[in-house]
Amino acid sequence: MSDNKNSTCNEKVFDNFFKSHSKLLRNYIYYKFGDLDQAEDIVQDAFIKLWNNCSKVDLDKAKSYIYTVATNLGISIARHQKVKFKYKDYIIQRKTDVNNESPEFIALEKEYMQKLKNAIAELPERQREVFLLSRIDKKTYREIAELSNVSVKAIEKLMHKALLTLRKKIGNI
Amino acid sequence: MLDDKKDDIFLSRWINGELSEKELREFQAHPEYEHYAKIMAGADALDLKDYDGEKELIKLKSKRNDKKPGSVIKLWPYFAAAASIAIILGIFLFNPNQSITADYGEKLAVTLPDGSEMILNAKSNAIFDKGNWEKNRLVTLEGEAFFKVKKGSKFTVATKNGEVSVLGTQFSVHSQNSLFEVNCFEGKVSVVNKGHNEILTAGKAYRNLGNTPENWTFNTLEPSWLSNTSSFRSIPIHYVFKELEEQYNIQIEQENLDLGYKYTGTFPNDNIDVALKTVFSTLGIDYSLSQDGKTVVLEK
Repeated sequence: MSDNKNSTCNEKVFDNFFKSHSKLLRNYIYYKFGDLDQAEDIVQDAFIKLWNNCSKVDLDKAKSYIYTVATNLGISIARHQKVKFKYKDYIIQRKTDVNNESPEFIALEKEYMQKLKNAIAELPERQREVFLLSRIDKKTYREIAELSNVSVKAIEKLMHKALLTLRKKIGNI
Repeated sequence: MLDDKKDDIFLSRWINGELSEKELREFQAHPEYEHYAKIMAGADALDLKDYDGEKELIKLKSKRNDKKPGSVIKLWPYFAAAASIAIILGIFLFNPNQSITADYGEKLAVTLPDGSEMILNAKSNAIFDKGNWEKNRLVTLEGEAFFKVKKGSKFTVATKNGEVSVLGTQFSVHSQNSLFEVNCFEGKVSVVNKGHNEILTAGKAYRNLGNTPENWTFNTLEPSWLSNTSSFRSIPIHYVFKELEEQYNIQIEQENLDLGYKYTGTFPNDNIDVALKTVFSTLGIDYSLSQDGKTVVLEK
């Protein structure tokens, strides 16, 4: 077939698409709904749905398709069980950031990091999503805007607000 | 700047390095600056648990191969509904799905292709090859399950801790982290675990925890969790906490607690108040259950 390279029914195309998009989708869904294991299940289900409908969804539409399907799955689960944003065992310290400070300093930092994670968990959903996509996934405001179909300006406002909220929650240390 | 209500993207511009030199100098002189700088430094040191894309793709394919493209089977709405054994069984019979998972607080009864029975305890997963079942009676298990095996060819339960194989009998397997436990209720089973070979007859149990294998005998006819009771025999306390979390879908927050205890006892799977009281009062730990019933905080 001539359009084989563009078809998500093509195994190779599908595999590559999965590899390049599954991780960010999983993170995005986690930031939105608060449970990383559940987010991984949702990613599985969204991609299975894509495979089952591959004849109808071309490669160029596939990205927005999986984001829509996954978000809807997340919403329908959240309707039944309200999940508090979980970060224990999920959000960890960057491995490359090991330095040799004194033990006291690290103890204080640990306390601070705990406070920071708590504050992030308590952010409103949209602020948290934007903040973590920017800080953990290192996405630009433009890339984040494209994921959720809003303007760059809207993302900038959310980012600004997220920082104000975090500052308020953390207080003076 | 910060106090300027009209500039509602000031901090975004700062993060992106879009402030003018003058703006940046002013901001750095502001008493709030160090707080924001610290938040950013902290946030940039955060990362997420790894994602194994290759493994996830393999998992996806094993699920996908069970369905012909085009015939969409909507599993999700069923999951959203209160999970009942009947519904899950229905999906299982009409859809040759090989991977079965019991969620928090669930027990799933599964009839295998030859009529053998498997009952999965909460938060456990079993995978088997339905198409090739006659030739290869193999179940890959993570978590805990009870089996009633029809007589026939060799039946094997594989876990990451070890293998149990039988010809026809009743037994349970529990494999979690470094815990591996097999209880034989009828007939005879053979256990292979880290260089240990054990033959268990009815009423005999084998356990390897960390790297200390032990054997004992018991006289019950089926595992207690089938009748909604979790029971433990001299086991590190964190396994008990894990089981509470899995049965009741709660989170136990246990800071500054010495977890060196071993626990022997039982708790019910259908009454959270009794369960919590039973476990924690015997340990002498004070606890409180949060308003939404999702979190248990322990205090010494």
